Amino acid sequence: MTESRRAERDRELLYFDHAASAPRREEVLLAMAPYTRGVVGNPTGSHRAARAARLALDDAREEVAALTGSLPGGVVFTGGGTESCNEAVFGVAADRARRGRPSRLVVSSIEHHAVLDAARRLARGLLAAPVEVVELPVGRDGVVDLARARALLEGADLVSVMTANNEVGTVQPIAAIAALARDVAADVVVHTDAVAAAPWADLVVAAEGADLVTICGHKLGGPVGVGALCLRREVTLAPLLVGGGQERGRRAGTPDVAAAVGLATALRLAGEERAGAFARTAARRDQLAKLLTSALDGVTQTVPSGELLPGTCHVLVDGVASEELVYLCDEAGLCVSAASSCASGATTQSHVLAAMGVDGALARGSLRLSIGAGTSDEEVERAAGIVVAAVRRLRAGAG
Amino acid sequence: MSGGVDSSVAASLLADAGHDVVGCTLKLWGGESDAGCCSAADVDDARRVAQVLGIDHHVFNLAERFEADVVDPYVAAHARGETPNPCVACNRSIKFGELLSRASRLGFDALATGHHARVVREGPIPQLRRGADAGKDQSYVLGFLGVEELARLVLPVGELTKAEVRARAHAAGLRTAAKPDSQEVCFIPRKGRGRFLAERTALTPGVVVERASGVELGTVPAVELVTVGQRRGIGPGHGGVARYVADVDPSTATIYVTTREELDVAHVDLAPDSLRWSGAPRTLPARVLVQASAHGPALAATLSDGDGLIAVLDRAARPAAPGQLAVFYDHEDPDLVLGAATVARRALAAA
Repeated sequence: MTESRRAERDRELLYFDHAASAPRREEVLLAMAPYTRGVVGNPTGSHRAARAARLALDDAREEVAALTGSLPGGVVFTGGGTESCNEAVFGVAADRARRGRPSRLVVSSIEHHAVLDAARRLARGLLAAPVEVVELPVGRDGVVDLARARALLEGADLVSVMTANNEVGTVQPIAAIAALARDVAADVVVHTDAVAAAPWADLVVAAEGADLVTICGHKLGGPVGVGALCLRREVTLAPLLVGGGQERGRRAGTPDVAAAVGLATALRLAGEERAGAFARTAARRDQLAKLLTSALDGVTQTVPSGELLPGTCHVLVDGVASEELVYLCDEAGLCVSAASSCASGATTQSHVLAAMGVDGALARGSLRLSIGAGTSDEEVERAAGIVVAAVRRLRAGAG
Repeated sequence: MSGGVDSSVAASLLADAGHDVVGCTLKLWGGESDAGCCSAADVDDARRVAQVLGIDHHVFNLAERFEADVVDPYVAAHARGETPNPCVACNRSIKFGELLSRASRLGFDALATGHHARVVREGPIPQLRRGADAGKDQSYVLGFLGVEELARLVLPVGELTKAEVRARAHAAGLRTAAKPDSQEVCFIPRKGRGRFLAERTALTPGVVVERASGVELGTVPAVELVTVGQRRGIGPGHGGVARYVADVDPSTATIYVTTREELDVAHVDLAPDSLRWSGAPRTLPARVLVQASAHGPALAATLSDGDGLIAVLDRAARPAAPGQLAVFYDHEDPDLVLGAATVARRALAAA
């Protein structure tokens, strides 16, 4: 692409991939600024500079604790959602293993790879005691099947079910799953990956019943590279990172004060704005879905009804390849996502759609558009137009 | 853009010439080897080169198709006692099949690769020719391409020697300038062909038999791993004389061997429906140079379809392995590719 065409395209950017990373908020930047330049004490020190940094860190900690319904000292700042999920899984299994006990990890089949891979890796023999991984099936509606869950939850040491799914946006019945788990498994630790849900849900309610809650900064419009593992009750977890004993020995490493402040600010803003934002965003998402499904044959909403995150519009497009659709959208300045992506940038087959039983051929034409509270009606119209044109072009064949 | 120096320079040349270029790397295999080519590290290298050149870069996942069209047939061919060339299968189905159609759907006018070969557009029909660097020529793996594909194919590095390619990469500051060429089959770990196949198909122990006398000389652990022409791995020579594989019969799990002198045959049997002309079809019989392996010699022959499709060699030579691609070059114009066909296993009747 020529330089001038590229510049023009960037000016007209239509960003419909909020679920991958939300636009960074100005208020967050301002809140973080004092802790990004000049003297920023190491919070573990004993002088006034350290105390100042410590204060900001602990204020952020308490804010996150209150917003997530966690113990005041129970918020562990981490390097992101992935680290938090890894810590939840490893923390429980390794704690069992160091006491010579095997562990049974029960995870939903639609968990993010940060949970699934963390669990599977342990099952392949990383720890001194055996680890068993069991997956909870979901229905075609993208929700954990409670009826089939009970038997699978028996004897679980860890249960990990996400608050809402990042690909298709379906909200999970965390309270019910937690209650079921405690019924059939003594000592069970319930973890929920609330990364996708945090911008849209009051986690005190949505993650009720969970012992551990994971959130991350950049899905909230906060900084990337920071997250939290929030403890609702005292749970013994073996740490992943050891060294200086920070975060009450749960996560070694000098805490990033600026990032923690950014995370807390972003979470607070999400909570303050949620009431109006949720309804407005859902209405726009519904409009987007309607524009797509009415203009084209063979386009369906992957999950047409049920409790969904308001910003996620996930569709299945017949007769086109996701990668090609994403490419043509990009060429027109629209940023969207094809199912799931791996670190190399390639599209991978979605384990979520597979777990839901979506037909393989249909899944190859999956598309996720995700908006935020700030996305306008006009942007929705333009985005729909671009997608429709791209689909028509691909279906028409060579050209 | 495979992440290698050739495709890096190809992209560089096109970008310098002012074309509207988009680089793409194919994700074809996520399995164990992930090392030969197009691994995660290679994707990174290709992407970085694209960034330095100022062109967009995309990664396309064609792994499902690769498994079905390249890997599975590779395994099946071995089970049939053939010697497949998966790089040719990948070129046919993936690079110049699916990728070429995708490029068309996405509005591109042409597909370029870093292959060392030339597409010459002097007359109405594009010609595929050997690359300028004879030692690096890759026209063989493109020999099956027809007019429609050649019309949309651009091969920028074919006019350069390998040394010139590396020099250009250095000059452009590309990280891949000194990267060694990938030699292996991309989805097979180094020297891991036996284990790879063993995990996917039954391997049959076989007997080694002297073709002339019918005497059994020994056994091999896997018939499927034996290739026509091979000398090693089939047991010691009988009476101190080296034996070569003349034929493999998977139906009886028998490997027929013969001495070097008796190994050579005067023709290459070809699968009748497999002939594809690169440009305008030639009338048969035609005088050609036939090359039946990626790095083998191009032998003078007459290609005819009188009694089956067959290339009769001027001089007897080592037999070609069934399943390989046979590429025909013009006898009077040795750089020009005429077309290609697939080597078939000759009926054992005429020994």
